[in-house]
Amino acid sequence: MSHSAYGIPISWFLTVGAMLFCIGLFGMMVRRSAIGMLLSVELMLNAANINLIAFGSYLKAPTIAGQIFAIFVVTLAAAEAAVGLAIVINIYRLEQHVDADKITAMKL
Amino acid sequence: MIRHVSIFGFEITGYQIAFVALAGVTLGSAAMVVLMPNILRAALFLGLTLFGIAGLYVLMNAPFLAAVQVMIYVGAITTMIILAIFLSSRVMKIGFGQAIYNPVLAFGAAGLMFLFLFVTVANSIWVRDIVAAGPADTDVGVNAVAAALLQPYVFPFELASLVLLAALVGAIVISKEDRPGEP
Repeated sequence: MSHSAYGIPISWFLTVGAMLFCIGLFGMMVRRSAIGMLLSVELMLNAANINLIAFGSYLKAPTIAGQIFAIFVVTLAAAEAAVGLAIVINIYRLEQHVDADKITAMKL
Repeated sequence: MIRHVSIFGFEITGYQIAFVALAGVTLGSAAMVVLMPNILRAALFLGLTLFGIAGLYVLMNAPFLAAVQVMIYVGAITTMIILAIFLSSRVMKIGFGQAIYNPVLAFGAAGLMFLFLFVTVANSIWVRDIVAAGPADTDVGVNAVAAALLQPYVFPFELASLVLLAALVGAIVISKEDRPGEP
């Protein structure tokens, strides 16, 4: 059974996911501040989530696994944001900026 | 019963209008996230993007995930990012040229990536074979998610809680200031 009367094929959601991923990719490449890069990573993770949920819901044999995977992605994204922002705050305390091009503390 | 609206001869459902509105909000504010020179405004637009994605989840018949998205992403992660911005940068002084680096090359690379993904989505036969015309209308509320999470996926669930604990302890250790004389 499916809501075919919605009139929204899965390719619409997949296209939105692809566009969101590419916007995140663009942001990852143009941003120099570490926080801006973290924002772009969140966009890309959400694009992946849209695809997971779309397939979980649109399959002819629909499965809950897509939503479960998305929940794990959200959980790990929260952990990633916590650790990433802790690192950003620590770097700011050491160097007074968060410019990823100028952080050289771990260079040999 | 789904009502159809006729616009210029096209039969348009309310769901399609909702999809276009939500996708527009999501993608427009996502573009703002990557283009705003002021990182604080970018973070606020990220909140709007995540809210739009929650709406898309509702359209995909995943209401529980929409609630999770609003609570964790819009509520917690955006707040945490804004707090980190307040703690770590002089937000008001950055101009566009300082914040955006080499946009033409980056746009070309991202555009190529989108072209690749779009051609894959548009041409793939396997998508047409395994996918139905609309989202499933089986029960995917809290009960179904809970049953799946605690029966077949209980081991990854416990592992995720362990990862969260380790990450939060690690975040505290990393961001703690080293003061001499303290253990």
